[in-house]
Amino acid sequence: MALDLNLSESEEMLKKTALDFIRRETPHDVLKKLLETDTGITDSLWAKTVEMGWPGILVPESYGGIGSTLTSAGVLFEALGSAPLPGPHFSSGILGSLIVEAAGSEEQKKSLLAAISEGQVIATLALTEPDYSWEPGPLRATATAGSGDFVLDGTKLFVMDAQAATHLIVVARTREEADPARGLSLFMVDKKTPGVSLRQVPGFLTGRSFEVKLQAVKVPRSALLGEADGGWPLLQEAIAKAIPVLCAYKVGACQALCELAVEYSRVRVQFGMPIGRFQRVQDMIIQMVTHTDAARWITYETLWKLDTGLPAQESVHLAKAVASEAYWQVVTLAHQVFSGISYSREHTVSFHTRGSRSLYNFLGEPAHHRQKLGKLLTRN
Amino acid sequence: MDFSLDYTEEQERFAVEVRKWLDDNVPKDFKPIRDAQKMSYEQFQLGRSFARKLGQKGWLYPTYPREYGGGGLETAKTLVINEELAKRNMALPIVTDWTTLCAPAIMACATDEQKKRYLPPMLRGEALTWQLMTEPEAGTDEANQQTNALRHQRDKDHFIINGQKIFVGGLWPPPEQFYLLTRSSLEAPRHQNLSSFIIPANLPGITIQPLDLFPLSTFAAVSGPSGATSEAVKNSVFFDNVRVHESCLIGNEGDGWKVTNATFAVEHGGGGLARIPRNYIADKFLVQCKNNPVISRRLKDNPHLIDSVVNIYIYAEVDRLLSLRNGAGKGGAYGGPQLMVFEKHGGAQVAADMAAVLGPYAFADEGDWVLDEGIFEVGERCGICQAPGGTPEAMKIIISRGLSIGR
Repeated sequence: MALDLNLSESEEMLKKTALDFIRRETPHDVLKKLLETDTGITDSLWAKTVEMGWPGILVPESYGGIGSTLTSAGVLFEALGSAPLPGPHFSSGILGSLIVEAAGSEEQKKSLLAAISEGQVIATLALTEPDYSWEPGPLRATATAGSGDFVLDGTKLFVMDAQAATHLIVVARTREEADPARGLSLFMVDKKTPGVSLRQVPGFLTGRSFEVKLQAVKVPRSALLGEADGGWPLLQEAIAKAIPVLCAYKVGACQALCELAVEYSRVRVQFGMPIGRFQRVQDMIIQMVTHTDAARWITYETLWKLDTGLPAQESVHLAKAVASEAYWQVVTLAHQVFSGISYSREHTVSFHTRGSRSLYNFLGEPAHHRQKLGKLLTRN
Repeated sequence: MDFSLDYTEEQERFAVEVRKWLDDNVPKDFKPIRDAQKMSYEQFQLGRSFARKLGQKGWLYPTYPREYGGGGLETAKTLVINEELAKRNMALPIVTDWTTLCAPAIMACATDEQKKRYLPPMLRGEALTWQLMTEPEAGTDEANQQTNALRHQRDKDHFIINGQKIFVGGLWPPPEQFYLLTRSSLEAPRHQNLSSFIIPANLPGITIQPLDLFPLSTFAAVSGPSGATSEAVKNSVFFDNVRVHESCLIGNEGDGWKVTNATFAVEHGGGGLARIPRNYIADKFLVQCKNNPVISRRLKDNPHLIDSVVNIYIYAEVDRLLSLRNGAGKGGAYGGPQLMVFEKHGGAQVAADMAAVLGPYAFADEGDWVLDEGIFEVGERCGICQAPGGTPEAMKIIISRGLSIGR
């Protein structure tokens, strides 16, 4: 029994460095401004995260990255979530690099993974469409092969970090097949290519969510990641690894909100006593803590399973379902504990509100993952 | 981090020894069952005789010091003993014994002389112990004791006990001794007016009367598989001028609340990882969801029932991981009572979800489709009986203290 649920020395270091960075570089007012932008990042801040090696945290050393475990990436993203630090850190450094690693040719891995690690390429996944789904069935965007190139057409919706990105990883149909999961290909599309246009999705999502229109976008053959037609299973492999890292970000956010609520319940006085004395306030904080703890340990066990090569299919769905629900609920409950003051856009609790809603659906909402789990649990 | 629970080489070597010993020592006719209400007197006695054998070996309460009758083993080896027993549908301490809650209080609060006197027979399985704490007027408000243990006016070294305890034990027959909380002063302020005793269970003036209760079970908990974790039968105990010597005290007169809190610390989820957490009932249920043709057909007819299956899976996984976290010492000041609330509330929901999937089979207790001896019947009742070990509401007060809110 090697059971040990402590962070390693290097993970503790990584966590401390990340928290120090956030305190130093993104104090409250800076963070508020970043959260109101459509990129969540500035050039100088991005350069500093590159210096820290964050965009290449998962990229193998042989390709120019740091080559950390998924658990270490989880530790980093838990720290980022505690702020919550916006920006394309996850989209490019985790999901983007994992997709390239899973699907790219050796040559593509060499050039793209190095560029992602160095922060020159910021990649983000463009998958979902107006007929919104995380399944392959409704995908309509097409890529038509020409002589030495492909022409992409279609609309992608709810594309996270499209504005901050230099490249879009577009999922497009290269062949019509009876099985909709076949005939899909992945393209690394330079955003400057003619025919690519962006529009921010209005509403309560974070400002980093975009509609991307692809109109006769001509890309060279080298933009195709790996082989044609077989992109879907490789994309799923990358998403499965990325999900628990995203969950760790939510765990960090939840933990920070719990600590804020506990602290506030000690100092906020009504009826002549701290509100933490009221059992209905206690109930809300206890619910927050239990949501957080459930998400935390499911997330870290999933990361551990993936790092050690154990079967983790169920765990990944479980983690996303539980952590998404946790972040949503914890934010909602935090608003009730703080009440009036937390509706202010100046207030730290409000920094989490739209993110908790955006990330609820991103890479599949609980209903999607529960459905997947249900199939795994009941199919003989 | 490492979530692995596979045996280390050292544990594997120890497991070989444990397996061999169990092969030689488990009584051949002993058939451990989960629902203790269905355990016969003969089976109970076989369980006790096996517990005594374990006690002689030091494996009944393995982590206690050898000088007090324990095994002096580290938790890693206790885990092996429990795991090997679990494979045979048993768990320490084989039959229900409140030594699990009393011995920690003795270790924490008793004098050296008392420890040497009390512990060896308990830890060797010779003296089975029931805990007598709850009273009709002292439920969640445990300190509101009305059972008096007052100094005899002439024989000053004796106490006279009068009063009533409830929700005690315990299958028949009665145990050797009681672990008893009393009010020993009518003047001293609350919490300072209490004393704890270990007394023989057969003293003149003691009457044990079984209660007619729904069975109480740890159905929802990630617990061992044996009758040891099932509290099917409980009693009232009446004290009518029961005379005990002061040598029966734990600690000193007036230490009762300190002793009780040492028990609470364990009852509300202390200690290291002594067994591999898993929910046997959820596991069995999930296997049936894949293999049982009746369940498969019901799930096909009513696809929304799959949501209940997913609920049960999520519950069991979170339960397992929170237990693992507590066992690994990462539960902080609130992890124990948090897990209790999770299991009590979750257990009620699991019972409801299982009933949704299984239909009336969930409540019935015979037939080829029974997954475990009437366990869903017990489980549904568990969803109703939330009090043992403290109500969820009381647990939330303790969690709040652990989180440093509310004061």
